[in-house]
Parts: sequence; C-alpha cells; structure tokens
Amino acid sequence: MNEGPLAFTLNGKPRRFERVPDAERLLDTLRWRAGLKGTKEGCRTGGCGACTVLVNGEPTLSCLVLSHEVAQEKVTTIEGLSTEKVGRRVIEAFAEAGAVQCGYCTPGFVVALAAQLGSGTPPPSVETLLEGLEGNLCRCTGYCAIRKAVETAREATR
Amino acid sequence: MTRSDAEPKARGALGYGTDLEAPGMLWAALVRSPIPHGRIVRMDLSAARKLPGVVAVVGPDELRTLLPKGALEADQPIFPLDEIRYRGEPIAAVAAETLEQARRAAAAVVPEVESLRVDARIEDVFPEWPSEAAAKDPRVVGHVHARHGDVEAKFRNAELVHSETYRTPGVHQMALEPHACLAEVHEGTFRVRTSTQTPFGLREDLASILGIPESRVIVEGTWVGGGFGGKGAMLLEPFALLLALASGRPVKLSLTYAEEFELGRTTLPSIIRLDTAVQGGRIVGRRVRLLLDSGASLPGRDFAVGYSIGFLLGPYRTETYEIEGFAVQTNKPPFGPHRAPFAPQSVFALESHLDGLARRLSEDPIAFRQRHAWHAGDRTAYDQPVGPFGLEAGLQAAARTAGVWRTGLPAGHGIGVACGFWSTGVGAGGEARLRLQPDGLVILEGEREIGNGSVVHGLAVVAGRVLGLPIESIRVEYGDTATAPFDSGVFGSRTLGALGQAVEKAARSIASTLATRVEAKEVRLETKGGQVVVVAGRRRQKLVDLLTPKERAAGGIEAAGKYYGPERKVDESRVVAGTVYPYQDFVASVHLVEVEVDRETGHVRVVRYAAFQDVGTAVDPADVAGQVEGGVVMGLGTALSEEMLWTPDARLANPGLLDYRVPRLQDVPPIQVELIEGFAGAGPFGAKGIGEPPIIPVPAAVANAVADATGTRVFELPLTPERVARALKLL
Repeated sequence: MNEGPLAFTLNGKPRRFERVPDAERLLDTLRWRAGLKGTKEGCRTGGCGACTVLVNGEPTLSCLVLSHEVAQEKVTTIEGLSTEKVGRRVIEAFAEAGAVQCGYCTPGFVVALAAQLGSGTPPPSVETLLEGLEGNLCRCTGYCAIRKAVETAREATR
Repeated sequence: MTRSDAEPKARGALGYGTDLEAPGMLWAALVRSPIPHGRIVRMDLSAARKLPGVVAVVGPDELRTLLPKGALEADQPIFPLDEIRYRGEPIAAVAAETLEQARRAAAAVVPEVESLRVDARIEDVFPEWPSEAAAKDPRVVGHVHARHGDVEAKFRNAELVHSETYRTPGVHQMALEPHACLAEVHEGTFRVRTSTQTPFGLREDLASILGIPESRVIVEGTWVGGGFGGKGAMLLEPFALLLALASGRPVKLSLTYAEEFELGRTTLPSIIRLDTAVQGGRIVGRRVRLLLDSGASLPGRDFAVGYSIGFLLGPYRTETYEIEGFAVQTNKPPFGPHRAPFAPQSVFALESHLDGLARRLSEDPIAFRQRHAWHAGDRTAYDQPVGPFGLEAGLQAAARTAGVWRTGLPAGHGIGVACGFWSTGVGAGGEARLRLQPDGLVILEGEREIGNGSVVHGLAVVAGRVLGLPIESIRVEYGDTATAPFDSGVFGSRTLGALGQAVEKAARSIASTLATRVEAKEVRLETKGGQVVVVAGRRRQKLVDLLTPKERAAGGIEAAGKYYGPERKVDESRVVAGTVYPYQDFVASVHLVEVEVDRETGHVRVVRYAAFQDVGTAVDPADVAGQVEGGVVMGLGTALSEEMLWTPDARLANPGLLDYRVPRLQDVPPIQVELIEGFAGAGPFGAKGIGEPPIIPVPAAVANAVADATGTRVFELPLTPERVARALKLL
C-alpha cells in the first residue's frame, strides 16, 4: 500500500499530514488524524449523510472521498462552520426547533443546510433547501422538526 | 424548553461510542462464521497472529486460558464452544495497530467447519402448524398458552367466524450510530466505555459471560447515537474486553453497517393466525396463534411471545379466548428488542383483522372499535384492572378528524384507522442522586441520554417542577456503574415514569430539608444572578447562606431517591403454559392515515397522518410531540418498505441502506399530533412513557387505509409496491 504526505486547508487553516495511505478516506483523516469527530461515521457507503463536510463549499460525503483527492483543496467541517455566522444560525435553529434527538445525524444536516444558505442571496426556497437534505437520514425525529429548523434557519439568514 | 444537549450535539461537540479513543489503543475486528449452523472442526489462529501490526488474536481456546472457569460455563459463551448457530456469528477476534491490519488478520482466519441442517425460516422448522405437543421440540425456545371461558362453545354457536393469517418480516432498528465500544483491563478490573441503553444490565451480563464478579466490571455509557432497543443488550463488549485482557492495551471495536445488519439483535419474522367468533354483531370469542422466529435464542430466553400474548388481544373486552404462541429457533442472530418489541407486528395483525371484520359487518371501523374498547372499570383478559386510559378519547378525536377527511376524499384514496396499546416498563426500578449547589441543581445518572430526551431533559423537567427551578439551572452529570446510582436502563418507555419518580422523591426530600431549615411549611426555589434563592412566603435567602459546613464542603445539599414499581399480577389460572407479563401502565394510541394507491404500480403514497396520543400528562409537550412524529415515521418504514430478506441458506440478502430502505425526508407526509391528557399514568405528575407507543399502530393504520382505498387487504408487511400489486392482481 502506498502512502504519502497530504496538505489541504482545513477550516481555514493549512494542515499537513504525513504518511497518509492512498486508500484512506477523508472521513478517517478528519476524525483520527485531525481529531475532528464532529463529522460522524455512519454507513461508510454514502447512504446516510452523517459524514457530510464541505469541499470547496460543496456538500460532500467524506466517506466516499479518498483523502488525497482533497490535496490543496478547502475542507470545512462542522467544527469550522460552528464558528461562522451562517453555521451558528443553523445550529441554533436545529436546537430550538427540537430537531436534535440522538444528534448523530445533526452535524451532517447542519453542514448540508449551511452550505445552501451560505451560498448566496437570496436564500433558496424551503422546498429547494429540503431537496438538498434528501441524502441525510434521521431515524429519531421523523424529519418534522428538521423541516421547522430549515424554515427558521432560512428566515434567520435572510 | 430547549434541551441542554441539543446545541452541543448540533455542533458535533459530544462524544458517542464511535468517537472513543485512548492512548495506545488497538483496533479490533471479528472473525465470523462462514456457515449458519454447524461446528468448527479446526481453527488455526497462528497465521493471523504473524501478520503485520497484529497484537492479539483470541478464539475459543483463549476463553480457557485467559478467563476463569465461569466463562466456559456461561450458557452462551463469548465464542461458541460447540455449535455455531447463525451465519456471521463471531468465532474469534483480532486486535491490531490499525483497523486495516485487524481486518486483514480477521480475514486470514479460515476455519475448517462441518455444516449441520439449516433452519432459515419458521416453515423449515414447522412446515405444518404445530400442535401443542410441539412445545417439547428442542427448537421451541418459548411457549405461552392462555385461555379463559368456553372457547369451543362460542365458536360452535357463532353466527360468523372471521379467520385470517398474517405475516410480518424481520425489521432492523437502524440507529445511525453503529455499535462501538472501547475496553481496558487494569489490575483485574474490566472497564468498558460503550454506546449502551443499559449500563447496569450490561455490567451484570459481562460479569456472567466473563466469569468474574460484578465488582470487577465497570461500564461507562457514552452518548448514544440512536438505540431503539438495539443497544439494550450486550453485543461487542465481551470481545473488546477479552482482546484488552490478551493485549494489555485499550481496544476499540465498532461494527460496520453490514455487520450491524448481520449481527444485530432485531425483530424477526412471524406468522399470526386470528379467528374471531361473532354473535349478535359482537365479538364473543377469539383464538390467536402465533409463531415467532426467535433466531438463535436459547431456550427460556424468549421474551417477545410473552409480551405479544397480551397485545394480540388488544385494548378490547375479550372474555373468552384461547391464545398460544411458539418462539421458534432458527439459524439467524437472536431476536432482540426494537422500539415496542413486536407490538407493531401484533397490532398490524389484530387491527387489520378487526378492520376487515367491521367491514364484513358493514360497520364503521371506528364505531366498531368504540363498541368493543375497554371502558373505565373494565378488566383485562388476564384480569388486571384497566388503569386510566385515553383510548375512548382518542377514538372520538379520530372519528371527528376522519369525518373531515372523508369529505371530498379523491378517488383512489383511502382512510385507515388503528389503535395501539402499550404497557410501559415502569415497574423496572431506578435510583437517583441529586445535589443542590449554590448555583443550581445536579442530577447524577449512570446512563446517558439515548436521544428521546428522557434522561437529559425529562429528569431535569421533573426536578425543576418540584423545586421551582428553571431548567437552565439544572444539569445532568453522568457517572459510570462504579460511581452512579443504579438504574435499570433506558428501555420500555420507562425512564421518565420510573427514574423520574426517583428524581421526584429526591427533589422533594431536598425541598423538605430546606423547609425545616428555614422553619417554613414549604419552600420554593428560584435563581437570581446565577445564585439559587430559597423562597419561603415573603422570606428569601441565598442557598449558600443556608448550607452547613459539611454541605459546603460537599458542594451542596445531597439527596437520594429510589423507585421500585409495585408488583403486579395476572390471573395465573388463565395461563396454561409459559409466562404472561402483567401490564404496568396503560397507554393508548389512535392513528388515522390517508393514502393514495397507484392502481398500476401498487405504490402507496401517504397523503396525511394524524396521531392521537394518550400521554397522561405531557411534561414537555413539544418534546413528546417529537417522540410521536419520530415513532410515526419509523412505523411508516415498517409499514411500507423495511424488510430483512434471508436466502434459504440463512444469508441476509440486504445488509445495508441501499437495499433496506428506511424513510427519508421526502417520504414524510404532514403529521398532525394531538396529545390526549387527563388519563394519569404511573409517572411523575401523571406522565406516561411515550418513546415506544407512537410506532405501534402505524403499519395497521396504513394497511387499513390501503384496504379502504382498494377494497383489497394485504396480509403481509411491508406493503411494498410489489406486494400491493400482487394483492390487486396486477402481477
């Protein structure tokens, strides 16, 4: 198995990791090398959305990306988003709407929604925003409170 | 009221089982049986031991060499010593420096095995419906039989007998977080941090399987990324602990989703036969026969049949009945609890059956249920008094809403109703320790929040309500099983009802201590500038000024509370064989759903949904509504798409999210939740536990709506397009 150094921008800061195997996934680099465990490990097959991060601002399933694919790119995780204005508002909207139960899916939802709300003005319609969350699974809430959170987050970022 | 864990969870700041890490930690992988039933003839672990990065490999031999004798005497040892009972059963385990190395080493173990006959399905064990003599068959691991009244006479004299057979499949909890734990062994103490619903139950089971005293086991729960029953029992912890013992290092073990499906303890298939005798338009007799696939459960370990035996008669007057259930051993992983274990399946059969009978009698299905429902003062089929119960209120509300929906119902649409009934596990005991500090209240608990809010929020709401404290000044702190007070665990919708009462008692004891101290009849607390203030009439004093020197040293006033539910009994003279569990509390759910059925494809679209939920008292209405919404949507999965599929050689054919379809955001209809209050439950302030009840009636309500839309009944879950199309003779 080949391995090599990997450098990319993580939450706005340049980071470099040594001896990263070619087959390592971005999810594992973030969680076990960078120690950023807010990005959750779910199905590892692209089916649940719990591991969603931003690569150059685009929502991306980090379990399906090889770490070396993001060399020199910009990666933003939930930890980065939670220090930004849009991210904060989305987090607060989820908490206040009762959209967080076990919370395992929540960072993935927050990242996927914040990406859409941060991408420009005016914000997309609620329907468009919800379509952007169709790849994210939640087993606790029945999505009802998540819909509410989407509506309030959209209002808050207008 | 916003939950205190919501914001930190949303920004990814709280640690789950999968997030566990320790310095010097090894990663583990399991070696799993390639056959569903048989014996290991030879298993050579030496090749795996020589692979790069491998630190420890353990198999059946290590149970002998590393653990006390008790580990070999457990009825289900950590690794099978004799028979392999299901495909994928762990037969050895590996710990290595990296996960990749551990998996490679696990794959390098190729056991020589001898296959035995495979029973993949109930029908493989019993091609014909078993007679009572079958109870002696070694593959019957549970048998329950109950009867009351002259059943034969009622059926002989009936003007109509309605007979049907229903089938239900295996369904998986599919919590987002896979099982994960981290084990360490230091100087004879076995310590495991794990994503669990039941730290204390786990401590007991680990002590037993490891052959060591309970005092040598410490369990610490992490935040749980969804439980739904799937994290209610021991699963990975023994393997991780054994590897930690063998390697002398911390060991992390977590499952892939494929392993979750192949190893997880889930709901398994069933066949349910129902016969109802009718005289003068009334139900006068019922026969229920149940065959439940128990997987590799051992004799005496079945629990589901004993529960179902209650729920299969429903919340209806049933004086004359005979009911018999067999738990059947097959070569699948053992049956395990899943949000209201087996109730959605029992209720699917019963409520479909009643709906069909009402239609056969040309009666409105809601009115038919109202005529037979338990009323105040009724007794159950096993002669327990029916407690306060919101069923009639729910049916009345459902009738009103159904009337509105009927008006202008488009062609191809149908409306279905179903009632659910649940008795919570409120009898299971728990203890609480509270500390009132100068700046707020701390509740010490041994189990973490699993998601429904009952621990992190429900307990705080209860304590706040007793003492008058705002929720923001109350904090739940988590200990491990060595430091925290005992509790039975988060299951059976019991946490708020049982543990909540322990918290309530402890809070009242603090209030009474303070009242004595300020020489008042009663006190109320409030906070001002971050300080707890004790209010007695017009007098207000800072708590900090009322503490004794000893309390100041301890950080505040401590109090403990205990709650162990009263013993309840069924009339044993009605139980012919096995165990019928008594009801602890009476929780009603009435659900109404409108569907549209595509007459070409058989696809069922859920148009709208209404859930009328008996909650006793809602201690946090928004939170409890969230439980109802979540339960309904999980139930829609059971109703429409979730089905574990096994091949004839007991291989799970769909072990993953791509082929096991759970509800997604776009599948969810508008859901109207109406909380029914006023029928007090056993919990604090009359609360009832609501974690499980909302899933129960969903599959039945959907099936009844499909029958309403099409005039055709589907007798098997889930109602996939293919199954509906076949019923409609489109295929």
